[in-house]
Amino acid sequence: MAEKSSYKTTAERRRTKDQSFVEKEQAVVEGIDISGQWNRMYEPREIQDYDTTYLDKLTDLPGGESMGWCYQCAQCVPACPVDTAGGDYAPRKIFRRLQNGNDFFNHRDLWLCTTCQNCLRVCPKEVDMIQIIPAARALAVLEGNVPDELQEMFQNVAEYGNPMGQSPRKRARWTRKADAAVRVLPKDPAPVEVLWFVGDYYAYHGRGVDAANAMTRVYNRLGVDFGILGADERSDGDSQRLAGEPGLFEELAEHNIAQFRKYQFDKIVVSGPHAYNAIKNEYPKLGGEFPVEHYTQFLSAQMPKLKPLLTRPFTRKVTFHDPCYLGRHNGEYDAPRALLQAVPGIEFTEMYRCKAQGYCCGGGGGGMWLDGYAALHQTERLSENRVKEAVEVGAEVLAVCCPYEVSRFEDAVKSTDNDGKLEVLDIIEILDRCME
Amino acid sequence: MEQHPILIIGGGPAGLEAARGAAELGCPVLLVEKETILGGTPILSSYAALTPDMESAEEAMKRMADAATSESLVDVRTETTVVAATGDAPEITVTLAGPKGEEQVVVGAVIVCTGFQHFDPGRETQMYGYYEYDDVITLVDVERMLKAGNFVRPSTGEKPKRVCFIQCVGSRDRQIGNFWCSKVCCGIACKEAIEIREHVPDCQVFVFYIDMRMYGFWEDQLYWKAQEKHKVQFIRGIVTEITRRGDTVVIKGEDTTMGRPVEVPMDVVVLSVGMEPSEGTTAMAKLFELPLESHRFIETVGGALNTVSTSRPGIFVAGCAAGPADLEDSVSAAGAAVMKAAGFLRKHALSTETA
Repeated sequence: MAEKSSYKTTAERRRTKDQSFVEKEQAVVEGIDISGQWNRMYEPREIQDYDTTYLDKLTDLPGGESMGWCYQCAQCVPACPVDTAGGDYAPRKIFRRLQNGNDFFNHRDLWLCTTCQNCLRVCPKEVDMIQIIPAARALAVLEGNVPDELQEMFQNVAEYGNPMGQSPRKRARWTRKADAAVRVLPKDPAPVEVLWFVGDYYAYHGRGVDAANAMTRVYNRLGVDFGILGADERSDGDSQRLAGEPGLFEELAEHNIAQFRKYQFDKIVVSGPHAYNAIKNEYPKLGGEFPVEHYTQFLSAQMPKLKPLLTRPFTRKVTFHDPCYLGRHNGEYDAPRALLQAVPGIEFTEMYRCKAQGYCCGGGGGGMWLDGYAALHQTERLSENRVKEAVEVGAEVLAVCCPYEVSRFEDAVKSTDNDGKLEVLDIIEILDRCME
Repeated sequence: MEQHPILIIGGGPAGLEAARGAAELGCPVLLVEKETILGGTPILSSYAALTPDMESAEEAMKRMADAATSESLVDVRTETTVVAATGDAPEITVTLAGPKGEEQVVVGAVIVCTGFQHFDPGRETQMYGYYEYDDVITLVDVERMLKAGNFVRPSTGEKPKRVCFIQCVGSRDRQIGNFWCSKVCCGIACKEAIEIREHVPDCQVFVFYIDMRMYGFWEDQLYWKAQEKHKVQFIRGIVTEITRRGDTVVIKGEDTTMGRPVEVPMDVVVLSVGMEPSEGTTAMAKLFELPLESHRFIETVGGALNTVSTSRPGIFVAGCAAGPADLEDSVSAAGAAVMKAAGFLRKHALSTETA
C-alpha cells in the first residue's frame, strides 16, 4: 500500500524575475518528502510576443515551407515516436513553439526528429518533416550549431568514409573471417550478378559482421554470384544528408556512384534500408541510376530456391520490427515477412505497431549518433519503448533487417532488464541458422 | 388579364439576382430599394474585394445592377420603401413611399431581400473597446481602408507592423442573444488577412479563433492560402479583452493549445463582426406579418429542402433576410425564390383561366 501523502494547506505564491510559482512549505507524497523548493510548481508564463522570426526563417528555406502549414489537428502527436518516448515533441508542438518565438535552429527540437515519417503518414496538411528537418539542420550545421556527438560522426565520415572513424582500408577485413569466399571487385573486376553494398555496420560493427558472415553463407548456399566494393565502398550518406550534411552526402554518393560505374552487374543488393533509400531515391538525383534491392527483397524473390534450403527448424516466437526506411519510406512490408514465414518451426507474431504504423527504433535521420543528446530530452529511448512492446507480445526473438537496429535493440534489451528474455537477430542470421 | 409584378424588396446581391432572373422568365418586376443606389451592403459598406474570388465589389455589383436594370420588365424604384400592404398573393396591394410621394401598387408575389446588418461591437457585453480605442476596428472598417488602398493604423496614420483579427465578435454568444455562427466572418478575416499581407508585406497578421469555420472550398481557397502562402498566423483562443498601454492596445486572452495566458500589444485589432437581421428585414417581417424564427430572421417553413418559402403563400425570402449567408448562398436562394414565385403566379393564372 502506498504511504499516505500529506500537504500543508497553505502554499506560498511567489515570483522570480520571470515567472510566478507556488511552493508548499511541507509536502510528503507517497512517503517522499518534497517540502519546500522540491514541490515548486511554476505557473504558465504569459505570452508577451508572437515573434515569428524563426518560423519565417524556417518557412523561407527550400524544403522548410510546410512547417507553416500546421493547423493544430494534433494527429501527429500520438504518431510521433519521440513524443511517445516522453519527448514533448511532434510537428504540432514544434510549430507552436516556433510561433511563440522559439529559435528552432538553436534548440533541441531540431535534433530529436528521426525522420521516421509516421507524422507525415497521418498529417492532413502534409507538413513534411522529411523535407523540413534536413533543410533546417543544414542551416544549423552551417551556423555551427551541431550537437557534439553528431559533429564527431560527421568528421569521421568526412575523414574515413564511415561513422565509426575506422580505417577505410579495413572495410573488407570482415571477409577474412568469413567461412566462404567473398569476391572483392576492385581485385577481381569481372562482371557479376549482384553487387552487394555491404554498408558500415555490416563491415565494421561486431554484430554487423555476424550478419555479414551469415549473408555470405546464405549467398553461397544459394549460389549467388556476388561481389563487394571492399575498401572502395563508403557510407551511403543518407543519414548524413538527413542529419544536416547535404554536401557530405553528395561527396559520398558521387564516390559510390563512380565505384558502381566501374563494374558490370545486374543489380545492387544492399544490407540496409538507409542505403536502399539513398541508392533508390537520392542517387538518381545525382545521375546515378542503378537497379537496387534490399536483401529481403532479393532473397524473398528466390523463395523456390531458398525454401528447400531452410531445413533446420527455428522453433521460437518471433516478432518483426519494420525499419522506417524500408517500410514507410519505401513501402516494403512483405519481403521480410515472407522470409520469416518461410522459416520452419517459427511462431510469428506481430507487434501492435507494425507495417505502416511501425514504431521507430530511434536510429534514423542521424538519431544513431544522437543517443546521448536524445537521452537528455526524453524519458526513454525509442529502442527501449520498442523492446518493451516486443516483450509484451510475448516474442522471444526480435527480428530486424536494418543494420542500425541490432546494436540499438540489444542495448535496449539490457537497459529494460529484459536480458535473457529477448534475443535480437537480423533476419539473415535466422535464415543462416536454418540452413544445414 | 394584366400580370401583376413580383415585388422584390431590396437591391443587394439577392434582390438584383432575383430581379434579373424573374425578368428573364418573363415576369414583370417591381424592384424597391430604400437607398439611392443599387448594390446593397457590398456597396453601402464599401467592400473592397468580394469573398472568396477577390473580384472588386464595385465592379461585381455594377454588373449585377446593370443586368437587372437593363431588363425592360424591371421597374426600379430607389429611395423607396414599402410602408403598407393589404391582401394576399396573388393580389397584394402595397403602398410605396418614394421621392414623389406615396403610391399604391398591386403585386402578385413578393420576394423579401432586405439582408443583414453588421453586428455593432459597442454592445455592453463586448469588452473590446471599439468606441474607446481608435486602433480597434471591424472587418467593415478594413474593407473601407482597403478600398481606399490605404491600410493604416488609425491612431497614427502609419503602416501597422502587427495586426490581429478576433473572430466570433457578436456571434455564437448567449449573453448577446446571437446564438448563431455568422458563417462568413472566418472566410472574410482570411481574405482581409491576405490583402493586408499583400498591402503591407512586413506586417505580421494573426487570427485568434475558437474554431475556423471554413465551409466547403473556402478551406483551401482562403484559410490554407492565408496560412501557407501568406504566412498569416492562426492562434486558437479568442481574446477576452483589450486594454491600453500607453499608445498601444494590448490583447488579453489564452493561447489554448499552449495553455498559456496571452498579453500581446497590437497596432491594429480587427473585430470579426457577425450578421444580425437588418432594420429593413425586421420592418418587412412586421409589415407582411411574416413570423421570425428564433434568431430573429424571417422564418422559412420548408425545412432544409425549401429555403425560401415563408408562412405566407406567395411571399418568399432570399439572402441574409432569412439568416447568415455568403454571396453564393444569397444569389442561389434568390434563384430559388424566383422559381417559386414564378411557379406560384403561373399556377394561379392557369386556375383563373380554367375557372
